[in-house]
Amino acid sequence: MYAQFFGSFLLSKDSVTPEQLTAAISQASETRLKLGTLALHKYYMTAEQVDEVCFLQTREDKRFGEIAIEKGYLREEQVDELLAVQSPDYLILGQTLIDMGVLSNSDLELLISEYEIFNEIDDMSLENQSKTDRLIRNFFTFSGKELTEHALMYINLVFNNLVRFIGSDFTPLNPISCSEEHDINYCVRQEIHGEIDCYSRIDMDESTAISFASRYAKMEFSELDEYVKASIDDFLNLHNGLFLVNMSNAFSMELSLTPPVSEEGNTISLPDGSFIIPVIYPFGTVHIIVSL
Amino acid sequence: MDFKDTTILICDDSILARKQLKDVIETYSSDIQFAEAANGQEAIDKYKEVKPSLVFLDIVMPVKDGNAAVKGIIEFDNDADIIIVSSVGTQSQLKSAIEAGAKDFIQKPISEEQVLKVLSSHLEG
Repeated sequence: MYAQFFGSFLLSKDSVTPEQLTAAISQASETRLKLGTLALHKYYMTAEQVDEVCFLQTREDKRFGEIAIEKGYLREEQVDELLAVQSPDYLILGQTLIDMGVLSNSDLELLISEYEIFNEIDDMSLENQSKTDRLIRNFFTFSGKELTEHALMYINLVFNNLVRFIGSDFTPLNPISCSEEHDINYCVRQEIHGEIDCYSRIDMDESTAISFASRYAKMEFSELDEYVKASIDDFLNLHNGLFLVNMSNAFSMELSLTPPVSEEGNTISLPDGSFIIPVIYPFGTVHIIVSL
Repeated sequence: MDFKDTTILICDDSILARKQLKDVIETYSSDIQFAEAANGQEAIDKYKEVKPSLVFLDIVMPVKDGNAAVKGIIEFDNDADIIIVSSVGTQSQLKSAIEAGAKDFIQKPISEEQVLKVLSSHLEG
């Protein structure tokens, strides 16, 4: 989950523009992590040293590792370790932004350490779940909104289900508080009722809906037909159903669901306390709208 | 086994969910006939019309939900073999479906393995 939130962290730091971030997310699947970036992440080399070795590489026909060893910046076993160890996937996004010329090595060096300190990702004493909870709480502090336990569980599950059913190559932008009229494109709504009431919506433009549905159903769709609509209904219904199961297990709270419906018209009015999370995928932006 | 006279009723408001389930059942046997319904009322009507060997029934549906459909079908045929397929696999949901007369429960997203297991135990067992 760390890769997804690194993108919104970069935005909140004004290190990238939304356009640059969107472009980087689309390109990230083709990015290869470079040894220099890996060395930066492990604090084996400084950004200056990486820049120097990259510069030397343009004059000598040698690999980055060879030059770094010659200069005494890396030991051979460190090179082997960097090549063998699996690195956090948010580095890929950082590498893509370097390749695009948006960030320099020294920008990334600083941002990575800030991001890891901010989220205490190094802290191995915590279970994965509570790390993700903290990540999401931090994510919401940017928008100045305190999350209830239920809302935290809900949002956590949204991101998990996006990873599980659509793909992990997304970046959520910071949640936007919204309590009035809101413009929509193709928008599906499902209501949860019982001890708590929740309106959940998923909204996207037509071409995004087609790509989203193609991934969900593992089929190739080309127009906004009944299968595309059913795919989006099913995703929302599946997500909310799993939320009900979690609420039942964790709080013995029995809730019920209404069937998903497409919103009519171009605007919806949202109650107080609603928020929208734009989620950027390479194929388009999906808006998760929650009134909880 | 010969499934030429076997009809399965698939009831889900999602055309995609119906297709996904049909695709899995077809890997089990290509002889099985299908009937489909998109809400609980249609499920009851279709059941009376085709008298299927097995019913796969979603819970969250418009017009009449799955639980109401189970009751309606059981009223007509006490021996109806109904499998609930739902994303809401809570204990209370499970309990009310079984009490109404459903025989089995599959949590969505469906896994091929789970569906095939249900087919062999309900059609061959």
